[in-house]
This record gives sequence, structure tokens and C-alpha cells, in this order.
Amino acid sequence: MQYKCINKEAWDNTLDHLLLSFSIFASVENEFGLEYESIKPADISRISYNKPKPATSLKSFFLPIKENVTSERFLEKPRIIIGIPNCDIQGLSLIDEIYLDKEFNDIYYRNRRENTLLISTDCIGIQEHCHCLSHNIRPFSTQNADLALIHLDGLIIFRVITRKGEDFLDKIPDVLSEKNNSIIEEIEKVHSSTEALLKESKKDLPDYESSGKLVAKSNEKLWKKYSENCVSCGACTTICPTCTCFLLIDKPGFEKVKQMDACQYPGFERVAGGEDALFELHNRFKNRYMCKYVWRPEKFSSQACTGCGRCIEACIGKINKNELLVELENSL
Amino acid sequence: MVIDKNIYKPVRAELTDVIDESPLIKTLVLVPENTFPFKTGQFIELSVDGIGEAPFTPSSSPLISEKLEVTIMKTGYVTGIMHMLKPGVQMGIRGPYGRGYPVETFSGKEILILGGGCGLAPIRSLLYALEAVKDKLEKVILCYGSKTPSDCIYKPLFDRLNSTEKFEAYRTVDRADNDWKGSVGVATSLLDKIKINIDNSVAVVCGPPVMMKFGTIRLLEMGYRDEQIYLSMEKNMSCGLGKCGHCMMGEYFVCKDGPVFTYDEIKHNPEIWK
Repeated sequence: MQYKCINKEAWDNTLDHLLLSFSIFASVENEFGLEYESIKPADISRISYNKPKPATSLKSFFLPIKENVTSERFLEKPRIIIGIPNCDIQGLSLIDEIYLDKEFNDIYYRNRRENTLLISTDCIGIQEHCHCLSHNIRPFSTQNADLALIHLDGLIIFRVITRKGEDFLDKIPDVLSEKNNSIIEEIEKVHSSTEALLKESKKDLPDYESSGKLVAKSNEKLWKKYSENCVSCGACTTICPTCTCFLLIDKPGFEKVKQMDACQYPGFERVAGGEDALFELHNRFKNRYMCKYVWRPEKFSSQACTGCGRCIEACIGKINKNELLVELENSL
Repeated sequence: MVIDKNIYKPVRAELTDVIDESPLIKTLVLVPENTFPFKTGQFIELSVDGIGEAPFTPSSSPLISEKLEVTIMKTGYVTGIMHMLKPGVQMGIRGPYGRGYPVETFSGKEILILGGGCGLAPIRSLLYALEAVKDKLEKVILCYGSKTPSDCIYKPLFDRLNSTEKFEAYRTVDRADNDWKGSVGVATSLLDKIKINIDNSVAVVCGPPVMMKFGTIRLLEMGYRDEQIYLSMEKNMSCGLGKCGHCMMGEYFVCKDGPVFTYDEIKHNPEIWK
């Protein structure tokens, strides 16, 4: 893996300059926690590095809540997104498989993907519900992002992942190759300590594949128990970095508006004759787990749960997916 | 320069005729702005401008691509509006989508078709396709059930099929009226009347979910193997592109992997009949 670095001050100046030709979004800490925000020159010093997970997921940059998909509009300015944790990067990989498939390629999604440079951040430390590692995703990116960075000792150190990322850094005069072994060792130490925290905090949690086997074998009693507090609000699917379901709505002039939808909403699978496979709450509730752990893995190579834990944080019924998986494992 | 196709954009089609099939079912005849080739069993998304869109399998011959017929049962808001449309209206169509009937693999076989209600719409398209290759087929038997005699659609189809070499067509109704002289009972009851060499046969089932379920069970009892039974699955396909998630049936997107499946492909999922 190729490492490059830039002094933090020079990086901030570079971002200031880049704002002339790019829209820049970055993870920023505000009074409510971390969030992806649009960056103006005055915000550059507020960009947060090394921290896990903004409140909403990366998918909102590529799949707006609502968009007209029949009128031609494309991004005017290329974008850079800075500070993306690896859980979000891996989530985007599944969305790519769905939206960029060879047969039906979504031109709006592709335009956004092609015009966005993804700069991931390594996570130092974890949040309460982080469990990427138990789902075989490490807390730092080595693929799918263009660059990954870490902020250490006044330096921004990049791992170069794609050609697009390399070309981007080549144009920044202050970026140097980083061959100092002690810095690389330091980065590896940081990775290990974050992974140790993840292992310790979620040591009872089954891994992604085992979770799939457990969910497939589960019984109705479990789903009824855990869905008791579910109000079908769809917060879990809205916040999820891999949930992409939508509805097409017709507008005059044969225009179509694509609006994010959720299998957790009543009527999601209702057909014309009135039959609805997901009529009962516990079936809708189970559907999300079956989709993430059983069905998507059969169809796609990217994981449908990246262990970000946002669905647990977002649930107003305090339903904890991880508690469900642990109970499932203990009961079988 | 490669011009990318916008997968969400419908093409226009003019509604040229509306045929009353039964009190609840009409056939809309559409002439698309460009020829619209499709394979029998594939479906389209048909839209009423500004109102809504719904998936239908064309009921017309796949050999004709200048004109499409779509047979629609009035079941809700969008189909209700479709029933009120008059010739001359522009509609939108997207598709064709999904995997239809593998007619090319039916050569040399006896084909048993079990249909119910509006399920005869996709079957009529299949029958047109089979008629075109009848020299290569052994036999085609249609068993069709409707709730009442007046709910039966395409009534002239049955006489035409019965006068076509190699084709046999049987009808039944759940509830007879005073004029009805034919069979009474569910569609599967017709299966007792037919003679078919099951080893050299495939069965096609299309109809309401309850008929699909019990039809499949009956075919299995008769000796059909799982992979000999083709089912046309109904789900709420919104995008038709394998993206929106509405038609997920286990690991499958019905819109892309189906709507036609063999029973063998989907039997592991206990929820297929829901």
C-alpha cells in the first residue's frame, strides 16, 4: 500500500484552494455529534478526522430522499467527501452493485459516483454501537474508497487506493511520499488498538455469515418479541448505509419521481388484489433481517450490514439488533 | 458519443381501442411510438400520465411488436382510472422486463396450462406463441377457471383453440348461472378430465395466489416434477429494474429473475404463496 502525506496546515490551505473547483463535504462535529456537512472556507478547521461515523450515512449523497429521474440534471461541480468511515465505504459498495449493474444502469447515480472523490478516514476509537469488525469489516479502508487518511502528529497521511485518488494527490504540490517506517508502524498500532476495542466491546456478537444462518433458522416467537416496540417508522432503513428501496411516483408529463421507501412501512409489498406478504408487523420486521443477512448475501458480493450500528441508535422503540442476534445465537 | 438510456423514462403509446372482457376486466389496445418487441411472459410497466404506473404482462402475441394488448382487472386506484380511459389517450410504457416463458425449450412436449381469472391474460400471449410453433409441439391443453360464467374473459378463444389442431381447451366456473352447461368447480378440478403424458410435459400455472398454490400441489400429486412446473409470480413490481425492492421474494427480484419461475427455483421459500 502506497502512503503519502501532507502537513495539516498545508492540507487546510489546499482544501481552501480546492473549494474553487469542487464542492467539499466532510464529517464535522456539531452540538449533536458528527455529521456530513457542506464545507465553506471557514469550516475547514472544523473538519473532524479519525472519528467513527457521522449520524447519517454516506448513501444520502448518492440516493437523495426524493429526486425526479426523468428530467436531465447532473452534478455541476465535482465533489470531494472527506472523513468517511469504512462502514459507509463498504455500504456504498453494495449500492454500486445494485445501481450500476450492467443491464440497468442508473445514469443519475452513476453521474454522482463518477464525479465524487471518496476520502475515507481511519477510525481511532469506537462509538457505543460500532460493530464493523464482528461483521468482517475493518475500521479503516483498503478498498472501494479513492483514498484513506489518518491525522497523526500534525500530518495528514493518505493510503492511496485508486488511480483516481492517486491522480488527485499528484496535483497537490505539498503532498510527499511517506516512507517513514515509524509513522507506518504508528498507523498500524492505531488500527490494532481500534480493532481491540471493537473485539472487546462486541465479543458475544456472531459474525455476518453466522448471523445469516441464525436468522434463517429463527422462529416467529423471536420476531414477535422484538417487533413489539416497532412502530414501522422506517428510521432503521432510512439511516442504514445499504437500504436502497424506493417507490416511483408519477407526475404530469410522464415524469417519475423516485422516493426512498422502506419494507418497514405497511403496504410495501401489497399487490393489486390486496394480498400483502408483509401485512403483519413481525413479518415486516423480520424482512429487514432476512434481506440483510440471508437474501442479499445470496445475490450480491458486498455485505448488506456493515456493522455501523446506526439502526440501533435511530430506533425510537429502543430495539437493539445486536441484542436480537445474541439472543438468537444463545437460543439455538 | 454513447447516449445513455434513462431506465426510468417511459415511451409513449397511444390507446387505440378498449375491449370489455368482463364486468371487471378490460383489454387496452396500445400502439407504441416505436415497435415494442417482447417475449411472452415478460411484463411491462404501464402508466397513466400523472396518475400512476402498474405492471402487466401483455396478453397479445409476442410475434406482433407494433401493437400491444394489455388486459387489466379493476382492483384499485390506477386500474380504476385505466378502465375509464378512452381511445386517443397517450399512455406510457417501460420494459419489457424480466424472464418470460422459455417457449424454445417446449419443443416436442405436451404443454398443460392451468389458468384462473385474469391469469388468462399472460396465458393468451403464451397460447399465441405456442400456436406459432405448434408443428414442434405434441399437444397443448388449457384448463381455465373463472368465478362465474360472466367473469370468463376471451370467450371466443376457447372455440378457436378447440378447433385448432393439437390444442384442447376446458372451462369451469366456481358458481354457475342458469345458462351455464359446463363444468362447475375450481380450475384444478379440470385436471381430472385430461389425458397427458406427464413425463414428456411441462405445466404452466397463472392465476390468483390461491389457485397457484393448490394448482401446484395438484400438479405435484399428478406426478409433475418441480422443474416441470412454471409459475408466473405476482408481486408489486414498482421499478422493474431489480432496484426498488418491492417485488423481493426471498433472494429473488421477481421483476428481473422472474416473473416466470420453475417451482424448483422457488420452493425453498415458504412465503411464495403469500
